[in-house]
Amino acid sequence: MRLFIDFIPVIVWAILAVVLVFVMLLASWVLRPHILQNSEKTSTYECGEEPIGPARMTFPYSYLIYTILFLIVDVLGAFLWLLSASPLRLDPIVAWQTLIFVVVLMGGIGFAVKYIPQTSLDGSEMVIAYRRAKRAAAKVEKAGRSH
Amino acid sequence: MIPLSWYLGLAFVLIGLGAYGMMVKRNLIRILIGAEIMANGVMIALVALAIYGPVFEMTSQAIVILVISVAAAHTALAMVLMLSYNRRYGTSDLGIPITQEERIDV
Amino acid sequence: MQEFELLFEQFEFLLLAGVVIVLAYLALEHREIVYAAFFFGIMASFVAGFFLLLEAPFIAGMQIAVYTGGISALIIFGVLLLPRAQDSTLETFASPRARRIGMIFSFTIIFFSALLAAMFPWSESFPVSRVGESQDLGMLAEWLWGDHGIYVQMIALILFTAIVGAIALMKMDKAELIGSIRGEFGPEAMPTPDEFPAEPDAPSEAETPEEEVTEE
Repeated sequence: MRLFIDFIPVIVWAILAVVLVFVMLLASWVLRPHILQNSEKTSTYECGEEPIGPARMTFPYSYLIYTILFLIVDVLGAFLWLLSASPLRLDPIVAWQTLIFVVVLMGGIGFAVKYIPQTSLDGSEMVIAYRRAKRAAAKVEKAGRSH
Repeated sequence: MIPLSWYLGLAFVLIGLGAYGMMVKRNLIRILIGAEIMANGVMIALVALAIYGPVFEMTSQAIVILVISVAAAHTALAMVLMLSYNRRYGTSDLGIPITQEERIDV
Repeated sequence: MQEFELLFEQFEFLLLAGVVIVLAYLALEHREIVYAAFFFGIMASFVAGFFLLLEAPFIAGMQIAVYTGGISALIIFGVLLLPRAQDSTLETFASPRARRIGMIFSFTIIFFSALLAAMFPWSESFPVSRVGESQDLGMLAEWLWGDHGIYVQMIALILFTAIVGAIALMKMDKAELIGSIRGEFGPEAMPTPDEFPAEPDAPSEAETPEEEVTEE
């Protein structure tokens, strides 16, 4: 009960953060001029060219494997945090246990980093999709210019 | 002090919600969210039993720490499985491939 | 003062319980998947608040770090990665019959478990005296790393298995590797509008799943 009351400032801070984001969005909406909707000024900017094609691109698949690696390291960090807050961290037996724990997990991460290029999760798909879109846009440009 | 049965009641409600989500939904990600809601309910029950009964005091709390880690590993593998399923079948829906493809009789 | 504290505690519990149940329902039933994934992340943070009410500060911190910061982010990444999963018009929901069966089943679970929880004489099994606050992490660390240190190594092996399994599941063999370099992908190839016809020299873009099966 005491602990909950001690942590109430945390939830107050979280609510304030959310309220701050909403207030900023609201303020910018209020201060924006609404006359320029659906005009040329609000269309997407592509360095002077005409924007062609949909704006949605394939999400990089490589982000997933790094998120999984982050999750592993997060759990590792939580266990080490527990150990560091206790007087047990000076015990030599516990130090050896920690070493084995960290070495096993780092071995897993090293295996993952070594074999990522052989999986389907590296960035090759995004590069190929980008090149294909660029070639298609160049073709349309050539066809438009020859007419 | 809040009676223990309240905490267990809340935990069982969460477990029931997670079970409903896992049984009824057809999208892969909603099933995973249902599984995680169930895991959260189980953790609330474990911690409530830890605090209210000195028999389980430290064991139950440490078990919750282990449960959180195992849930993390399970979610990572489930996400990779979902990605493979999506690459193979082109959809993230569970109902479709069994009716359209020919069954392979083992 | 005692009654005020008791009332305050009950009010807090009911408030938190209401928020958690509403968020869990929204996380399951909302039409947009992205909203559902975010609601799940917020629900995990409120469950950490429950752990604080139960006087377990380390577990609350670990819940926020691992669940909200890791697992919820992983689910949101999954929603973004699976193509055509963000479009809510393409999602099919369960039939009303399946929904009714699921509701009956889960109501049975909840009802009988809640009955058990309410009727079981919990106060006679355990002594009524409240356990002292475990605010120092020393005892927990001693249990985990000192007396029963084998569990931590088991967790290391489980996580190692998870990461190796993730890599192994995503590994491509030689045929698929060449296919991905040349530009042939599965059904998730980016859909091209009609004004960009496929070039004659590039491989065809509309791959069917059967062709991937024959390549394996």
